[in-house]
Parts: sequence; C-alpha cells; structure tokens
Amino acid sequence: MYALNYQRAKSLDEAVKLLGAEPEAKLMAGGQTLIPTLKARLAQPSHLIDLARVAELKGIEVKDGVLIIGAMSKHYEVMTSAVVQKAIPGLANMASLIGDLQVRNMGTMGGSIANNDPAADYPAGVLAHNVTIVTNKREIKADDYFQGMFATALEEGEIIIKLLWPLPKKSAYSKFEHPASGYAMAGTCIAQLADGSVRVGVTGAGSSGAFRWTEAEEALAKSFSLKALEGLKVDPETCLGDLHAPPEYRAHLVGVMAKRALEKML
Amino acid sequence: MQPSRREDLRLIQGTGHYTADWNQPGQLYGYVLRSPEAHADIVSLNVEPARAFPGVVKVMTFADVEAAGFKSLVGGVAPNVKGVGDSAMKKPFYPVLADKKVQYVGQAVAYVIAETAAIAQDASEAIEIEYSQLPPTVTVEDSLADGAPQLHADIPGNVGFVYERGDAAAVDEQFKRAKYTSKIHLESQRLIVNPMEPRACLAVYHADEDRYTLYSSSQGIVNMRNQVSTVTGIPQAKLEIIADDVGGSFGIRSTPYPEYMVSLLAAKQLGKPIKWVGTRTDSFLSDYHGRALELNGEIAIDENGRFLAFRWDDRVDLGGYAGGNGAFIGTNNLTITCGGVYDVAALYARTRLIYTNTTPISAYRGAGRPDIAFAIERLVDQACHDHGLDPVETRRKNFVKAAQMPYKTPLGTTYDCGDFAAVMDDALAQADWAGFAGRKAASEKAGKLRGIGFATFLEASGGGNTPSDQTAARFDAKGDVTIYCAAGASGQGHETTFISLFAKELGITEDGIGYRASDSNMAVVGNGTGGSRTLLGQGSSFKLLAQKVIEKATPHAAEALGVTADAVSYAGGSFSAGGKSVGLRELAKKLASAAAAHPFDCGAEGTFGVTFPNGCHVAEVEFDPVTGVAEIASYAAVDDLGNVMQPTLVLGQVHGGVVQGAGQVFGEHAVYDRESGQFLTASFMDYTMPRAATVPLAMKWRGHAVPTKTNLLGAKGVGESGCSGSLPALMNAVMNALRPMGIDNMQMPITAAKVWQALQASEGGAAVRKAA
Ligand SMILES: Cc1cc2nc3c(=O)[nH]c(=O)nc-3n(C[C@H](O)[C@H](O)[C@H](O)COP(=O)(O)OP(=O)(O)OC[C@H]3O[C@@H](n4cnc5c(N)ncnc54)[C@H](O)[C@@H]3O)c2cc1C
Repeated sequence: MYALNYQRAKSLDEAVKLLGAEPEAKLMAGGQTLIPTLKARLAQPSHLIDLARVAELKGIEVKDGVLIIGAMSKHYEVMTSAVVQKAIPGLANMASLIGDLQVRNMGTMGGSIANNDPAADYPAGVLAHNVTIVTNKREIKADDYFQGMFATALEEGEIIIKLLWPLPKKSAYSKFEHPASGYAMAGTCIAQLADGSVRVGVTGAGSSGAFRWTEAEEALAKSFSLKALEGLKVDPETCLGDLHAPPEYRAHLVGVMAKRALEKML
Repeated sequence: MQPSRREDLRLIQGTGHYTADWNQPGQLYGYVLRSPEAHADIVSLNVEPARAFPGVVKVMTFADVEAAGFKSLVGGVAPNVKGVGDSAMKKPFYPVLADKKVQYVGQAVAYVIAETAAIAQDASEAIEIEYSQLPPTVTVEDSLADGAPQLHADIPGNVGFVYERGDAAAVDEQFKRAKYTSKIHLESQRLIVNPMEPRACLAVYHADEDRYTLYSSSQGIVNMRNQVSTVTGIPQAKLEIIADDVGGSFGIRSTPYPEYMVSLLAAKQLGKPIKWVGTRTDSFLSDYHGRALELNGEIAIDENGRFLAFRWDDRVDLGGYAGGNGAFIGTNNLTITCGGVYDVAALYARTRLIYTNTTPISAYRGAGRPDIAFAIERLVDQACHDHGLDPVETRRKNFVKAAQMPYKTPLGTTYDCGDFAAVMDDALAQADWAGFAGRKAASEKAGKLRGIGFATFLEASGGGNTPSDQTAARFDAKGDVTIYCAAGASGQGHETTFISLFAKELGITEDGIGYRASDSNMAVVGNGTGGSRTLLGQGSSFKLLAQKVIEKATPHAAEALGVTADAVSYAGGSFSAGGKSVGLRELAKKLASAAAAHPFDCGAEGTFGVTFPNGCHVAEVEFDPVTGVAEIASYAAVDDLGNVMQPTLVLGQVHGGVVQGAGQVFGEHAVYDRESGQFLTASFMDYTMPRAATVPLAMKWRGHAVPTKTNLLGAKGVGESGCSGSLPALMNAVMNALRPMGIDNMQMPITAAKVWQALQASEGGAAVRKAA
C-alpha cells in the first residue's frame, strides 16, 4: 500500500467536503474491495475518506412500498434484517450468498454498487428490482446506472446515500459460484414487480458487466412459468470467457440459474 | 472444551511464534523485486535511484552475492545418481539474485533494504531495469518442441536429465507375451502449495562472535543449515537456525530460499538484523510449486488376468532451474514403487526432467508418490475397463500376498509387510461397495450421474538423507525435562505426540515435560519432517531416549535406595528395590542443581528403515449433468499405517491429505499463459483451493494395522497417504461416472466447466440433456 492520509467523515456534508478538497481522494466503505486494491498497489489515492461513521448512509426501512437501504448497510445486516426478510426475502438471500462471514460483516451495499464488479451479486438485484440509486446530487435509475465492467454513472464527488428498492410481488436470485473466488460465475435475479412486469438481472456472465436479459423478461411476462424459459439462451458472444470457463458455459449457466430462481418463485 | 493437542491453545489464541512474530531491536526490512518477465535478458539494471531513496540503506543485486562468493542454490539429483548412458544431470547455476537473465515470473532480481518495509517497497519501484523479452516456454511439451526457446545456453533442448530404472528388455518380453495391454496418459498438474503462513525470515549477525542466527519457517534445521551454508559459505557451526511455530510446509519448507541468504549477507554487511516478510503474492510466485508431472503408463496382462509388467515414460517439469527436491521427486520418488501393490515380473520407468520458464518445483505432500500411486491405479482401472476384468478380483489376483512378505520388487525395493487383500476387503465393506447399484439408480432418478472408484495403493515412507535421528533430554534445576529432536512441525502436533510417547514410555505424567524442535544449539541432528517419517524416525528415537533416561537414573536410584544398581527395577515412573521405592521425578528434582548439568541428561539415536504404508480408499462422485458440478457423495478409507499412537492426529492427517487430493482433482491448477509466460493464477481469486465442504462431513476412515518391524514403534507413515489414496480413488470414481457418457479420459482438475463441455461434445451427454 502506498502511504496515504486517512480521514474519517462524521457527516455526509463533511464527506462531500473532504472528497471535493482533494483531487485524488477516495471514499472507503467496507474496504473489502478497496483495501485489497490498495495493498496490491493498483490504486494510489492521496486521501481515504472513511464513511463508517456517516449516519445519513445507514438504516433500513420500508416506506410507501419502497425498501430503503442505506449505502453503508453491510451485507450481514441486509441478510439478517427482519425488514428485508419480510419485504424482499430474495434480497436477504442474495446478501447471504456474498463472500464469507468476514466479508459480509464489512462489505456494504453502497460499496458493492459503486464498485460494480462484473461478478458482484447486487447488480443483478438492482437491475431486476428497478432500483433507484440516491446520491448527494441526484437519483439514478438502475437502467442508467451500470455502464460496463467497474463503470457506473457516478460522477466525481458523487456519493451514494441510499438505494430505493420498490417492493416486488416476488423475486428470487440464483447464483453459480465461481469455484475460486466465490463471486458469481453467473447469477440471475428475477423480479415480478408490483405492476406485474417482470425484470431479469444477470451478473457474472456478461462481457460488459451486469445486464438485463430482455428475452427472458418478455417470455416470462407472457407466461410466468419454467416452460417460458425453455429454449431461451443468452448469446455467448455477449459473455465472458476466461481461464475458468468459456463464454458458452457462462451463457448456459445464466439460463440454468434463471430456471432455478424461477423455481423458488413458483 | 479442552483442545485435543498441546499446541492448539497457543496457536488458536495467537500466542504462537511464527517467523513474522520475531523481531530484533534496530532491525531493517527487506523487499524483493521480482521479475515481471517469464524469459528475458536483463539489458541494464540501475539501482541508484532506489539507493538514493530516503530511508533506503542498501540495494543488493547479483553483483553483491557474486562478490560474497555465493554459490548456486541447491537442487538436482545427488551426484551419485546417473542418468541413461551414465550421464550426469545438467544443472544450470541458480543464482540467489538473477544474473543477466530471468527464467520465470517472480524470480528474485534485487533486494532493497530500508528502515521500513513500506520504504523498501516504494524504493523498489525506482529501480530501472531494461528487459529484452525472449520467447518463453511454460510447458514440457513446448520445451521439447523443435525450435523451442532455450532457457540455458549449455542445456540444448531444455532436457536436464533422462533417468531410467528397471529392465526395459524384460518389460518388452512381458509385453510380447501379454494377452491384453492398456495405456494411459495422465497429468498431475502444477499446484501452488499455499501453506497458511507465508514465507518470512529474520537474519541476525553477532559480530562479537562472528556468528549468525536465522529465524525462518522450516521442516527441520539440518537440511536448512546445510544448504544455507553451501550457498553462502557460512560455516554450519556459525549458523543458528530457529523455527518455532510453522504454519504449514507440505514439502516446500525443507530447503532455503534466496531471501534468507541475502538477508544473512546484509545483516553482516550492515551490522543490523534484517527482516523480510513475504506476502501471499510472494507465496504464489516464489514458493516452490508442486507436482507438474506427466505420467504415461502401459500395463501388460496375461490371459488369466495376471499383471505381467508396467512400463512408464514420464515427463517432469522442473521449472526454470533445478531447485529444492524437484529432481529427486522426478527420479527416485516417481519410480521407487512404480509397480504399486502388485506382484509383477518386470518394471521399467524412464523419466525426463525438463526446464520451462516457470517457478521451480519441489516437494508437495507426497512428492511424486501420490502421483505414481494415482497413475498406477488409474491405469489398472482403465485396463479392467478396457478388457472387461473385474476391478476387485483382478486386483486381488495380482496383489503381492501377505505370505510373500518381505517382497522384493523387480526394481529391488523391498516391501517389508502388508496385507493388501485384507485392507481392500475391509475398505469395500466399509464403503458398502456391493450396494452401489442401488445408490446409482437413486442418483439417476434424480437426474445425476454417479460413479464409484477405489484405489489400492502403497507408498514408500520414512526415507531421509540424514544417517540417524537423534534426540536429547535435558533436565533443569527444577527437575523438569525438555526433550529435543531436529524435525520441525508445521501443524502435525509433534509436541503432543512426542511428550505423550516419552511420558508413556517412562510411565510418568506429561506435566513437567517440555518439547523443542529445531534448536540448532542443541547439536541434535536428524531428518527434517518429510516423507511421512517423523513419528517412526524421531518417535523411535524418543522411545530409546526414555530407556536411556532410565539407564542414567538407575545408579542414582540405587544409591538413594541403598542397594546396588542391579537390584533396582523400574516401573510406572518409580524405581524400587526391596520394598522401597523412589520416583523418577522425585529423584530428578533431588539431583538438580543450577550449577551443573543434570546427571540424567542424555541423548539417543537410531536409524530406522523405509516403511510402506498402504491402503484402500473408496469414493463416490455425483455429477449434475446440467452444470457439470461434481460432489463427493461418499468417501470411505482404510489405511494400514502400522501402529497408531494418536488416533485424532492420524485422522487429521488423513482428512488433510484427502482434502488436498480433492483440491487437486476438482479445482487446483497453477496456470501460465502459453504465449507471454505470465502467471495467470497468482491469487485466490483465480486459484481454486478446496474448501471444508469439498469433502463430505461423514467421511469414513479406519486403520488396519499390519505393524512394521523396521522401527521401534511398528508405525508406518501417515502424512501423505491421504493424497496417494484420494487422487486415484476420486479420479476412478469420476471416470466411472463419465465413461458411460462416452468420455474416456479427462485430466485434472475436473472443473464443472470442463465436464459440461465434455458432456456437450459427447453422445451420452446428448442423451442426458434430452432427458433433463
Ligand atoms: C474474499 C471476498 C469475497 C467476496 N465475495 C463477493 C461475492 O461473492 N459477491 C459480491 O458481490 N461481492 C463479493 N465481494 C466484494 C464485497 O461484496 C465488497 O464488499 C464490495 O465489492 C465492496 O463493498 P465495500 O463496502 O467493501 O466497498 P469498498 O471496498 O470500501 O469500496 C469499493 C469502491 O466503492 C466506492 N464507494 C464505497 N462506498 C461508496 C459510496 N457510498 N458512494 C460512492 N462510492 C462509494 C469506493 O470509493 C471504492 O471505489 C467479496 C470480497 C472479498 C474480499
């Protein structure tokens, strides 16, 4: 790790100020992605602004048909929160599948979404549930937010405050773990929203990050059944291929995970 | 809850003493700059900018180690081992820091010493190196190809050694008379050893006595001190090596690494202790790698199903240099038991040792023995399949029988004892071999592919190149005793085992008995931990030591009891004569003085032979054809480890070995990019380690002891048998599940992606897909 200055923000205002004060400053949430990156000397921020004490980024509640999750909510909190378990059980389940106990006790939803790892779990949920990301500057719709691997709509100086999850009728996630990292090799989240529309978010498999599988959405909108998914296939051309699996395999897994997620909903 | 081992409380509570826990006042910190290139000439190397960095004390390169007269790192076969045509092994000079050329990604190039570790690392980035890339070769295949890149100018064709063992003509004869033959090509892929504790060292120079202390993790100080001395020229008598707790070794901590040598040199030159603590990345790149063997076997069988001969033509990837024990594994260990548990007329093995632009190879749990056990049992299984022979009865027919013991193999190896048929029957009964059809049908119903496999294997354990295993006992002023040996533990629980053994032998309780290993001041020599030998070697020596203590104490007991020594008898911790008695402890306390050595102090030593632990492991594997995911549905093993001293520790060794075997079968693989020679699996994000859940919780095991007479305990080795049994048992189960799908061979690791792809391409797979 290169030497850097560590700062602890006590409020959102202070975090915004500190972030604006230094061109090379960086926010730190749970540090689960950031610290390994720093240790590998792949990033060299001048200042780290720790968000752990920023009250505005905390809290989980349901209000007006929306599950509001503070950006600094840890995966462990999401997984064990009675509010989440009741409102969107599929999301609590998704959080329980992230990393291991230690990671879940540090990593946060805001950090995960800001980082947008192409194999992270939450992006599939955010897309499927049509989540709104609230920052200190604006509200961003899920469809506008993800912009390819590790790329998001967040601008310089922008801090995620909370995520608004509209309560679905039902939703579920199924994940095929990467054998080494435990991230998603392919993860599919299906949500049937309050208005009856169906959205399918996919992570892990896409060659440009999380994406919506629109063919599956259309098919499920017509008939919310396993049969509807039969024969549907993600184009391997749009999938990642690497040392661990060829694109064809990931494309295939997206379909299998879709079926397994759907089975939980039927 | 009481921990089951003496060392557990200390280790679990963080009060153990791993290498990085040692510190010395005024110490400086080292950082190794490693090669980012797989194969390149070093055109220029300018360390001045790093030297000028504030806080930097010294920057070392090849020039420094050359000026100090450092020799090549030690490796290669022993000088008396000759290859075909009486050839000697071609060993390139393996410099402690790279000289003019780098041969693999991660090779140590420069060593920066600074006031803090962070400064040393920062400064390393200022070093200016110009590399001129050369085409790399990262597989034996590519190294042997026409026009392959040449790693070492004096080793054309990259072949370091061609070794053979056995009688090629006799084997040819047997193949001529054979009714059936089968062959197999297998890869035991390159692995990262990944002990939990990354490598570290602390080097201290004591100027007043011109003496050195090296703190480093090791499996035994004798080899370590020997090789450090050979390379650096520091006389062994001036080199103290300290290793307390060691967080895993598996074979790669038996010999020293470059950091240790340069740290010793710098400690003297700067007059300050030098500390180096490696990262996990350093472990991935620069710890010796394991396995990396290719096995090609053939078997000849007569019309009655009797095995006639095995023929092997194996290829061994040494890495960029001959380091550690890579060459020993590729010659001796691959061949010593290359007929396994079978009584055959002829054996022949040839192995070629080949250089590639990869991290050098050394021992990894079993060091070639699991690999050959795996190959034999895969080949036997393949032959049974090819020719419709029953795998159980065919093995039984061909076993070396208990009545044939001691049995001399065609290679001259003598198996002293064993009852392979009894072990197999015991294992098959435990695994309910007979009930497999029912379980397979149930799996099929659930849409799964189930396979069963087993292996009857044997390995040689207990070798060692130090002529004897010494132990010593020292009594202190309180009459308490500390016992010593040279083999270092790295998780095995030596402290628990040896204190218990010593106490039992003396008939006393364990309190007041301390244990220390790897204390070079004690001048106790012996083999390091390795080759599953410590209990049978050092343990036997401890048994002798207890008897020595009694001998030493007897005259004093006689005096205390007022009788002559021959009137005294010893039992249950006490000496007695004529109705009077005195306890050993009591006597030890009485005779203790701070001023002089205790009269009971003594040493023992002995030389104990090779043993042949053997076993039969049975595995069932279930595949989900939809995803290709494998699950070990059941695992049941029986091992003949001779007499078992500590059942819990033995079970732990078996479990650990089986998990590592399962790791190799289903996930682990160190991969280099063929074109660039870059190392692709340098972190746990890409290198698949086995998890606790990789093996079933309900794994069954039991011992089937056929005690050996080659040591005083009747014990055989256990440390590596888990790998030797699990690799073939699991792979035979995998193939049993996949063969009906039209898949006849698959190389490890059996990843879900690979299985799915194979099923996509196979006819059986198409049928399964349709049904699913
Ligand atoms: C061993 C291991 C296993 C893992 N397994 C999984 C897995 O299976 N699935 C999975 O999804 N993830 C996994 N992760 C990642 C984990 O979920 C991380 O928590 C997550 O990626 C980042 O969250 P964090 O809170 O740690 O963020 P940090 O690492 O602190 O920050 C990540 C990035 O987000 C930025 N950031 C943080 N908070 C905000 C904010 N409020 N506004 C704007 N920018 C912000 C930071 O500046 C930084 O660039 C794993 C991590 C580890 C170490």
